[in-house]
Amino acid sequence: MTGRISAWAYAAGVLLVTGCGIAAAMALRPGFAATVRQVTGLEPARIAAPDSFYTVRVAPLFDRHCAGCHGARAAKGQLRLDSFAAVWRGGRHGDVLGKDGELYRRITLPQSDEKAMPPDGKPPLSKDELTVIRLWLADGARGDVPAATVKDAPRLVLPVTIPQMNPQDVARQRAPLADELARLQKRYPGLIAYESLASADLQVNAMLAGKRFGDADLQALLPLAARIVRLDLSGTAVTDAAPLSGLRAVTHLRLAGTGLTGAVAPALDGMAALKVLTVTGTNIAPESLAGLRRRGVTIHGEGDDGA
Amino acid sequence: MKDPRLLLTDLSRIQAQTRRHFLGWGTGGLGAFFLNAAMTEDARADGPQTLNFARDPATPLSVLPPPFRARAKRVIYLHMGGAPSQLDLFDYKPVLARFHGHDCPQSFLKGKRFAFISGIPKLLGPQFPFRQAGRNGTWISDRMPHLERRLDELCLVKSMKTDQFNHAPAQLLVHTGDPRTGHASLGSWVTYGLGSENQNLPGFIVLVSSGGITANAGKPLWGSGFLPSVYQGVQCRSAGEPVLYLDNPKDVSRAQRRQVLDAVDEINRQTHVQFGNPETVARIAQYEMAFRMQLEASDAMDIRRESPAVLERYGAEPGKTSYANNCLVARRLAERGVRFIQLYHWGWDSHGTPTDEGVNVGLVNRCRETDQPTAALLADLKARGLLEDTLVVWGGEFGRTPMWENRGGQEMAFIGRDHHPSAFSIWMAGGGVKAGLVHGQTDDMGYEIVQDPVEVRDLHATMLYLLGFDHQALKYPYQGLDQKLTGVKPARIIPQLLA
Repeated sequence: MTGRISAWAYAAGVLLVTGCGIAAAMALRPGFAATVRQVTGLEPARIAAPDSFYTVRVAPLFDRHCAGCHGARAAKGQLRLDSFAAVWRGGRHGDVLGKDGELYRRITLPQSDEKAMPPDGKPPLSKDELTVIRLWLADGARGDVPAATVKDAPRLVLPVTIPQMNPQDVARQRAPLADELARLQKRYPGLIAYESLASADLQVNAMLAGKRFGDADLQALLPLAARIVRLDLSGTAVTDAAPLSGLRAVTHLRLAGTGLTGAVAPALDGMAALKVLTVTGTNIAPESLAGLRRRGVTIHGEGDDGA
Repeated sequence: MKDPRLLLTDLSRIQAQTRRHFLGWGTGGLGAFFLNAAMTEDARADGPQTLNFARDPATPLSVLPPPFRARAKRVIYLHMGGAPSQLDLFDYKPVLARFHGHDCPQSFLKGKRFAFISGIPKLLGPQFPFRQAGRNGTWISDRMPHLERRLDELCLVKSMKTDQFNHAPAQLLVHTGDPRTGHASLGSWVTYGLGSENQNLPGFIVLVSSGGITANAGKPLWGSGFLPSVYQGVQCRSAGEPVLYLDNPKDVSRAQRRQVLDAVDEINRQTHVQFGNPETVARIAQYEMAFRMQLEASDAMDIRRESPAVLERYGAEPGKTSYANNCLVARRLAERGVRFIQLYHWGWDSHGTPTDEGVNVGLVNRCRETDQPTAALLADLKARGLLEDTLVVWGGEFGRTPMWENRGGQEMAFIGRDHHPSAFSIWMAGGGVKAGLVHGQTDDMGYEIVQDPVEVRDLHATMLYLLGFDHQALKYPYQGLDQKLTGVKPARIIPQLLA
């Protein structure tokens, strides 16, 4: 009989095949299964709180050590460790969590074991990092425990980030004194420089000019006073009458080997931003710096701490 | 309208330009121009910044500000060539002491390669008493009593590792980031990146003690590699003339020397007009610096100008070649704005073969030669306010084994340890490092690192960070690759070491 199947039967067939396909996919790909369950409302989406121990301490470790192979780019063993939901979902063989689970077992294997994670000579997790993960697993691998409440956790060490700068911002900050600076740099070659490419602050290294640098030269630099943060006058000819108190932004001042005496103290007291002062080899008596010391200024070279 | 004769000169100059000059200028000139244009467009893009190290060829050492605020402005690097035994100085292992004289367990030997150890060696416990000192009760052996008093200033790293187990490649790795010759040394990178404050002295100065033995890898340790040669280290002698042939010959006055230099400069200038090669300008700059150095170098290196009290603190004796003298010179150079000061003291290779290579003899002597001056240098820098922005680094090229070396299966004449790349100790002090810190840990036998390993490239990245550089951005194009001190493997700045 060359019959035609009815539209209903056809539709039912397609649905059946699709259903089998989805079921097979769910069985083979746990990640897909979880997505389906979450979309259909059978399972709540797992989200960790932003201040949770997981988000603050554990997730960065997964990101750094694991997510390269267990993440969006590659989910080896069908395991992804790049989100809280994915971590709970597990891999090809199901759940990896738990205190004695596969995850902790693999990251604690000796490096020589071929099943050790991370593999291929990548640096293993440090003792502190393992402790963080162990504490999290032991507490049920939850995403709602605030980080601050986990008392035994090792101190958090944040990776160093390179400061970023915006050249336009820097140029804008530098603009007001740029002409003055160019003029003075020509007059004192090599003595005045920006502290960094990212900064409009200046450092003055009059030490290089030695005795050729005196009070009048310091006076000449005063137009830049708002930006001079480090000033080295070691071995220069400056005197107690030097216009130091005008240098209101200087935090680090070196006076080593100058002929200054205690009479310079009032001028130093006037330097409001001063934090570190060096007076090695001068005639500045320690008692004349009492005011600075009270203010918390670090003073090098009074007395003989070189002994 | 231009003078026609000038036009002719221009023409001859253009004709004298070779393709090589054009390309050379092209990378510095046109390339830099386009890079600059690209930078303003793309300044916030991800990845390391593109830095411009272009300078007037007449002043190749002029100061360039670091990309971000530096915690250290200069470096004093104390290289202990031969590899000091961490197990007899800083890395105290009481458990190893308990197993002293036992056969080394097989698990230590399997798959390992040693320079000399063969068969089954015996374990060798710490050879000197250790004690705790400093605010944090840090362990240190009794061989360094002076340094013990400065422990609170040290940032001690007990978990350094390297992948080289022979001296020369390991030293090259520590100094240039690569175990082969031809790469730029740390000091060259730093002077290339930052220039030097004092234009009357070289920016990168090398001082060698221990009977003139440099280190196994020799002068490539302070070579500039692929960087322009003006950034290589300049070795100065600590006795006699600091730089040979710098002084004027007898009966030649400074004015006469000036006349000669003026004539030479004039010839060089004409050559430059003719060929347009920037190296000619660099040559003129070198002559001029040598002339200025005649005045400043002798003064900087002359420790007779120090008071007897200072000389005594360092244990320095003017006229001798010694590590103590070099430490004092290092402080004088730091004061004068020299960027990178590198000291070498060789003789820590304690195998136990000849007398001076025993842990019980050579190591004791090296400690006696270096302990007091090193501690005096730290104290002196601190008293002069220089430790704030001077980074001091002390270390060798690898560590030593917790086993008694048995070269060729024989017991050694003296107590010795073999090379050990898997763990060694170094310390830093000053410029932005965390004082009083002990970082990293080895196992109970001092054999493998169990916590916080630090690769040589991590140390380099951390040092460059302290000097205001992203190690990824301090680079130089060579052989089709952006060459970096830290190489191509991932390097980490170690956050714990930072103050």
